[in-house]
Amino acid sequence: MSAVIETMTPDERLWAAIRLERPDRVPVLPTLLPEPAATLAGVSQAEVAGDVETAVKAVFHVFDEVGGWENPYPASYTPLQLQAGGVFPMPMRIPGVDLADDIPYQLDEKELLVPEDYEALAELGFERFYYDDFLWRIGNLERDELSPVQTAMAQGGALFLQECARRDTRPLFLASALHPFFTLSLMRSMVPFTQDLYYAPEPVERALERMTDDLIEKQVPFAKQLGIDVWLLTEERASCFFFPPSVFERFWWPHTCRIVEAFWAEGIVTLFHLDTSWDKNLPYFKELPRGSAILELDGNTDIVAAKELLRGHMCLKGDVPAALLSIGTVEEVEAYCRKLIDSIGDDGGFILSSGCSVPADVRPENFRAMIETGKRYAPR
Amino acid sequence: MSEELSMAILELAHDDVPEMIGRRLEAGEDALAILAECREGMTRVGQRFQDGDYYLAELLLSAEIFKAAVAQIEPHLPATAHDRPAGTVVLATMRGDIHDLGKNILATLLRAHAFEVHDLGVNVEPAVLVDKVREVRPDFVGLSVLITTAFRSMQEARRLLEEAGLRDSLHLMIGGGVTTPELKTWLGADFQSLDASEGVAWCIERAEAR
Repeated sequence: MSAVIETMTPDERLWAAIRLERPDRVPVLPTLLPEPAATLAGVSQAEVAGDVETAVKAVFHVFDEVGGWENPYPASYTPLQLQAGGVFPMPMRIPGVDLADDIPYQLDEKELLVPEDYEALAELGFERFYYDDFLWRIGNLERDELSPVQTAMAQGGALFLQECARRDTRPLFLASALHPFFTLSLMRSMVPFTQDLYYAPEPVERALERMTDDLIEKQVPFAKQLGIDVWLLTEERASCFFFPPSVFERFWWPHTCRIVEAFWAEGIVTLFHLDTSWDKNLPYFKELPRGSAILELDGNTDIVAAKELLRGHMCLKGDVPAALLSIGTVEEVEAYCRKLIDSIGDDGGFILSSGCSVPADVRPENFRAMIETGKRYAPR
Repeated sequence: MSEELSMAILELAHDDVPEMIGRRLEAGEDALAILAECREGMTRVGQRFQDGDYYLAELLLSAEIFKAAVAQIEPHLPATAHDRPAGTVVLATMRGDIHDLGKNILATLLRAHAFEVHDLGVNVEPAVLVDKVREVRPDFVGLSVLITTAFRSMQEARRLLEEAGLRDSLHLMIGGGVTTPELKTWLGADFQSLDASEGVAWCIERAEAR
């Protein structure tokens, strides 16, 4: 393996990549959430799902054990805290409660939003609709539990920042949201949402419009207040893996442009978390301002083709597949990472990472191999 | 065979299809022939998907239309009219995973192509799968997976099938967002895909080759 000579700090390295400049080496930034961190730190899924402090400590235990990487991916949550925060608005099955202790929490797809609710969403906005009504349909939380859960989440966030500061680093981002389209798909569930898009689209459009307004009005000032330069926007169900370009163009892309441009006007970069194959959607991203976004890809999008298309326009993050980290060998992980660095990491604009999140059953030696290869391998 | 109904399914005319079926049943048309035309519509949807003109969304919509059509037609089928199925399939999402979107699509599409489907649901214990295989002796076992924590129980299921002497008499297929050709090899499966429609085509091909 060729040697790497480091001349940049982790933050400088990361930002060189985001700004599409050539860093001293490829930055490494795995999406390490509490679920894989639990496995790597030797605690159970039930423990990290039940206590945010345990979750944060597991993440930093792993961070320290492998000698760190570029800026940590924020992971200060328990599943119920995500739900209390309006993220993943659907029923959850929790390890130690509804699932065995060793199985990570999962979303349980159910049709809880009804067609009439689109009008309520358009009228009231997401936040009011969610906390006055929808959250209580989900059934994981009781009303008197909300405030303590939110407080614990804030404490977890503070602990995460303290742990970052102790290591002289900072999180990749602090603000995040699900895309309104993804949010609606989760609340309504996949099949009825698809039927609505095709058979009764106008109410969906009105809800999406209002939710986009709300997101911009709430999240941009919040991000500015925090002084952050990256925020996360998650979308797992809008690509051409699911929908034809006509649906994408009508229901997703215009809202997305508005969101990205509102953040970019404040100098804030949007980190897209994009699951499934976005191969056919990639050309659209050229319409966004240069450097305004990072595309985090999960291994199902052709990242080499993405690089060819978006070279010099947008940074890519990815994409060591979950299956490879779960069942592959160290040699296979190293080879995959080297190939990524050789093929798309030569001129900046690339962050080596897991595809989607590091899987909860990651093999420790594979995780280490990904980090080490990123840190030590110099492109040919 | 009239084409009106199969074209309505192809065009995802969710309101027209039940109306057409109702009209034809009322006119005393053969329920089996109506069902065959619905299946023809689903075959056309699958073809359009394979051609890249339809996406997963349209597969989902057509599957819903077909399910409703079968429910409407079934009471009118004569008791002796049940054909020999094209094949028998056991489907499951194994222990560690509760996602079932892909599995449900596959189940509907297989039924649309006259396969007998036994869907065991999600978070299924390997021993439960093996018991079902022992009971119904399927031609195919399909394991759907979205998160890697089910890999080990999928592997255990394959091992238990082998130990019970059941593995060689069936085709083992896997599908879902985290599956890869390498996972297929690791599990010793016969087929892998991210695409339910491709899975159906493979089952039809294997069933016809028997």
